[in-house]
Amino acid sequence: MSLLSVRNLTTEFLSGGRWLEAVSDVSFDLQRGEILGLVGESGCGKSTIAYSVMRLLAGNARISAGEVWLEDVNLTEADEDTLQDLRGSRLSMIFQDPMTALDSLFTVGHQVIETLQEHLSLNMTEAQERALALLRQVGIPAAEERLNAYPYQFSGGMSQRIALAIAISCHPQVLIADEPTTALDVTIQAQILHLIRRLLVEEQGSGVLLITHDLGVVAQVCDRVAVMYAGKIVEFGDVGSIFNNPLHPYTQALFNSLPSQGVARGALENIQGRVPSLADRPTGCHFHPRCNHARAICREETPHLRSATDGQEVACVLYE
Amino acid sequence: MVKKWLVSFMNDETAPLLRATGLSKYFPLESGLLASLRGARAAVKAVESVSLDVYAGQTLAIVGESGSGKSTLGRLLLRLMLPSAGHVQYKGENIFTMNRARLQAFRRQAQIILQDPYASLNPRMRVGRIIREPLDIYREGSKAEREKRVHALLERVGLTSVQARAYPAELSGGQRQRVCIAAALALSPQIVIADEPTSSLDVSVQAQTLNLLSELQRDFNLTYVFITHDLGVVQHFSDRVAVMYLGKIVEEAPTETLFAAPQHPYTQVLFSAIPKPDPSRRVNWEPPKGEPPSPLDPPSGCHFHPRCPQVLAACSSIVPSLQTTAPGRRVACLLYESDVEPPRA
Repeated sequence: MSLLSVRNLTTEFLSGGRWLEAVSDVSFDLQRGEILGLVGESGCGKSTIAYSVMRLLAGNARISAGEVWLEDVNLTEADEDTLQDLRGSRLSMIFQDPMTALDSLFTVGHQVIETLQEHLSLNMTEAQERALALLRQVGIPAAEERLNAYPYQFSGGMSQRIALAIAISCHPQVLIADEPTTALDVTIQAQILHLIRRLLVEEQGSGVLLITHDLGVVAQVCDRVAVMYAGKIVEFGDVGSIFNNPLHPYTQALFNSLPSQGVARGALENIQGRVPSLADRPTGCHFHPRCNHARAICREETPHLRSATDGQEVACVLYE
Repeated sequence: MVKKWLVSFMNDETAPLLRATGLSKYFPLESGLLASLRGARAAVKAVESVSLDVYAGQTLAIVGESGSGKSTLGRLLLRLMLPSAGHVQYKGENIFTMNRARLQAFRRQAQIILQDPYASLNPRMRVGRIIREPLDIYREGSKAEREKRVHALLERVGLTSVQARAYPAELSGGQRQRVCIAAALALSPQIVIADEPTSSLDVSVQAQTLNLLSELQRDFNLTYVFITHDLGVVQHFSDRVAVMYLGKIVEEAPTETLFAAPQHPYTQVLFSAIPKPDPSRRVNWEPPKGEPPSPLDPPSGCHFHPRCPQVLAACSSIVPSLQTTAPGRRVACLLYESDVEPPRA
């Protein structure tokens, strides 16, 4: 059984009296001990998937179809009490902006201990000891003194370490990390990603869903990757296969538009136009108006993910 | 006589277009609890004795992590703030002592593009007026000529004449950045300082914007100072790179040379921390240690020494100066100073 299984998830937002699909018919499995990357440009539905899984969608959004299973629990049908129990214990999340993820009115020690006591039966002394050990694990210097410090007294990188300490405090089976290092400098990014891999994946065998727009981060830390475009997964598979041989025209274009090492100076290949908004997503394959390989059929038929090579699935008529 | 010398200086191909000498900017912490704790004269040294040259038609990239002072340096180069020490010469003339008329002439030749195209455009002005404003201020041509120029600029940056009527809110991030670029180019400047111009854009849009900037450079022989933390962009786009750490330039070199063999340990650490989009070159990283220190309380000696993997005993006391190690190449590190013993492994 997969750790986390997303089946035909469709999530909609209410806008101007109409329900618009932000995520359309998305399916994937997250396994134990893997980091699964979810990449795509802004507005493609990456974060909406995260919030759908956590059941933290805003009031103007709803899951209109599909199911999300955390092992034997159907998250889409779970009631609020069950969800409260799961969030922070078996299922946790860290966000892009660590400053807003922490409560500025309480010390970081209080916030770590609160989570521990909510989910584990620990007395105050035990909880304090655990909190201290956690801060040390995530690399907070002088952890004992820092327990009594407030979030504003920490840098962005240190705040993200605290958020990570809270997220891993109850040994979650699944961590959803939504752009966890986007707001951080590269040297700090390297440290945080290293911590996620070591503390969660290697030591506990948890699964991590890492949402990012940075293909470099995917290449360096993910095992498998789902490439999203306009609410759908267009390509899915092993990081090695996809980076060596991207199949979907969007994935190819995305790679070619990277200004990267070893490529001669010159015009970058770019994708004409832009990601369509929720209200005017094209018919058929959402990418067809920007695709160099588009045919008449692409306007009419929605391609589905199919196995194309060993370890790689793609949703494109070119491979059908 | 002086004038004659100036003219010959200005025609000299090898003279830098823009030259900063000993440029420093300190932000005093005058009031509040911090100041009383640290003494009234405490200051953040955002930029400290920076000297660099920018050559016409080239792109100089200034890279560094947040708080390294790169944006402050960019603003000083345009006299958008006054320095605490040092000066900047544009075509040989100190921009900080220019009179009003000279400064006006300088301003039309030196423009800036900022990171956030959402914040840098007036939401209540139509796009056409935003682009026309510099032309109005400098009373360029007749009204009809200005309108014509606005439309030509819009087309040049890949927008349409119809979009002159749009408000910024109706445009995407990439389109807004094109508007900023058009406004910056309205007066045909010689030098453009671009402060993280593509950081807020998606990769595909970033590629479009970089391509546009590079075409414009070719067409108008523009000089760019590119402030960024994205080393992929730096490598793709720049001729030379200056690396900053805590207010100082620690290394400067031609782009290819720098990427082939970075000399300063900080540059090496920075490069190794960039996630390469290539899973076959996966780094089994022992990530760089420590965090950039607070500019309020920088470490003694070389500011990088507490995080440096190759630190020497002397690094905590001696401030390394920027030494020329090869033509066009400078590095501020004791490892490259001939009179200091190299570390023995």
